[in-house]
Amino acid sequence: MPPGRVFIFLILFVVSVVIMYPFYFMAVTSMRSQSQYELGKGFSFASWIQLFQSVPVAKEMLNSLIVCACAIVIILVLATSAGFALAKAHFRGHGFVLLGIVGGMMIPVQSIIIPEYVNFVGLHLINNYFGAILVYVAVGTPFATFLMTTYFRGVPEELIDAGRCDGLGYGGVFTRIALPIAKPALATVVVLQFIPIWNDLLVGLLFLQEPNVRTFTVGLGVLASSRVVSIPGLMAGSLLSTIPAAVIYIIFQRYLVSGLTLGASK
Amino acid sequence: MATVNLENIKKSYANGFEAVHGLDLSVGEGEFMVLVGPSGCGKTTVLRMVAGLEEVTSGTLRFGNRVMNNVPPRDRDIAMIFQNYALYPHMSVSDNIGFALKLRKMPKDVISKQVGEAAGILGLINWLDQKPGQLSGGQRQRVAMGRAIVREPSVFLMDEPLSNLDAKLRVQMRVEVSRIQRRLGVATFYVTHDQTEAMTMGDRVAVLNNGSLQQCDVPQVLYDRPNNIFVAAFIGSPSMNLYEAFLGSNKTTLSLGSQSIELTDDLVKLRKGLNRYAGKKLIIGVRPEHLMIPGSNDQPYLYGDVDLIEALGSELLVHFSIDARRVHASGVQEDLDTGFSISGEGVARAHARTNVSIGNRVQIGIYVEGIQFFDPTSGNAIWD
Repeated sequence: MPPGRVFIFLILFVVSVVIMYPFYFMAVTSMRSQSQYELGKGFSFASWIQLFQSVPVAKEMLNSLIVCACAIVIILVLATSAGFALAKAHFRGHGFVLLGIVGGMMIPVQSIIIPEYVNFVGLHLINNYFGAILVYVAVGTPFATFLMTTYFRGVPEELIDAGRCDGLGYGGVFTRIALPIAKPALATVVVLQFIPIWNDLLVGLLFLQEPNVRTFTVGLGVLASSRVVSIPGLMAGSLLSTIPAAVIYIIFQRYLVSGLTLGASK
Repeated sequence: MATVNLENIKKSYANGFEAVHGLDLSVGEGEFMVLVGPSGCGKTTVLRMVAGLEEVTSGTLRFGNRVMNNVPPRDRDIAMIFQNYALYPHMSVSDNIGFALKLRKMPKDVISKQVGEAAGILGLINWLDQKPGQLSGGQRQRVAMGRAIVREPSVFLMDEPLSNLDAKLRVQMRVEVSRIQRRLGVATFYVTHDQTEAMTMGDRVAVLNNGSLQQCDVPQVLYDRPNNIFVAAFIGSPSMNLYEAFLGSNKTTLSLGSQSIELTDDLVKLRKGLNRYAGKKLIIGVRPEHLMIPGSNDQPYLYGDVDLIEALGSELLVHFSIDARRVHASGVQEDLDTGFSISGEGVARAHARTNVSIGNRVQIGIYVEGIQFFDPTSGNAIWD
């Protein structure tokens, strides 16, 4: 093997180890009881049993799924329709509108979370799925809109014209032509939104505090802040929480590369 | 079926640019009308206005007696074929062809039957389940045709549909498109910048330049009696040879640079307008096939130097230069788009076995009845 390839292989190996080690640590630790963890050897399902006994895993997973799915559906609806309009409708001032949306990407969620909390208290949206969903939508929509605008700009005008000649209005062109061919961009939006929303702790801690609406990450956060912390139990929960994101990534990864390189070339 | 009438159609954009200046044109039922002209002449804009994809700024567009100016594309009963085919990439060939019928909520069995018939005509039966991405350029072009013909529209609109095909396939598809259009008998607008396509396919050809109609007539008339220098230079390949010339006061001696030829009395009588140019400059045009190499002493001739020979197998194209001033029509050749050039290049068709070499000084015979005359200021043809 040429030295250059060996060098690249070594770098990739080191990067892989750095990325995979936390997963290895989580997997190994979750398979030990607290005492085995402290001894550094042994094998047990005790931490998994403890996790399911102390945390309503199914309920919290379902809460996470509801919040994630609703937020992503709303983001997709807003981003695709806005992206199509910004890319193809050529209305006056569309560049300015896009600039405003791109500007929204620069606002960190931490800077708006307190004003949003205060407002949502007044609107009775605390401890309500919809409150958290709205925050995720507000934070995720600008980037998703930017991505969809870029994608739709690459769709030939003739395709839109062909649809109009075939008997479609703009709405029909959007739903029956533009959306079906935007699968890579839609998949990219799903993956790039699902992972941060699923993993989010901050918004959940503020807006979904009650046990019946708590998401899984909030549940783990509560577990981590209890008086006696079980590291193996926490690792079991953490490992469990990575599975949905990994599944989503595996399902959509074949579209992801083409989606992420949108607009890079004609 | 419908006739299409464009009455004083204008198109201008928000920045004030006027792309089409008062176009009057009518296409009869089943007529194949070709819009031809150089890039940017407004031909695609006209087509898009007929389709309803561009607003008509002023003027009236009618299909039959119905004014269509504000009718959306979906209600115009048109079918359009685009330069890049614009096939829906997520649909199969079958779905692409039947999509418009599906939107009309036609029964599935009727759609299937009509799609099958169109696919049969176009030789697409074996590709109905494929996606456009799996097809060759020629097959995609056929699918685009299929999508148009299956709808049985009132008007066909074709925007340079063959320009993405290779030369051989283009010739084949040219014949096929013409055959299908005649079979269906639908009024057709066909946009191209290729004058060979225009001449071979159109019942009539409308030549556009800078948003204005230069001439609209059957192909042979465009070729034989061009209205102006632009049409003369644009129609025909190789282009008509255009030179600055001087008509003697006797009205029969025509000087080109240092050489001269004698026109026949019959020609001068036929072209009464030449009387106004006695003792004046004018522009003459000679088709390459009206120049004979070698010339003979029993017909008017000039001497020229051979610069280049293109052997096409069936004939030679002999490029030569004479000491007259060559005239280029504005817009026809993008690199030579203004006024006069000082060299007198020209091209003649010659028999494939003609004994001629580069660098030879040759006698070039001229068929004087074929000479066209143009006003040097307006560029208009001189007839009566």
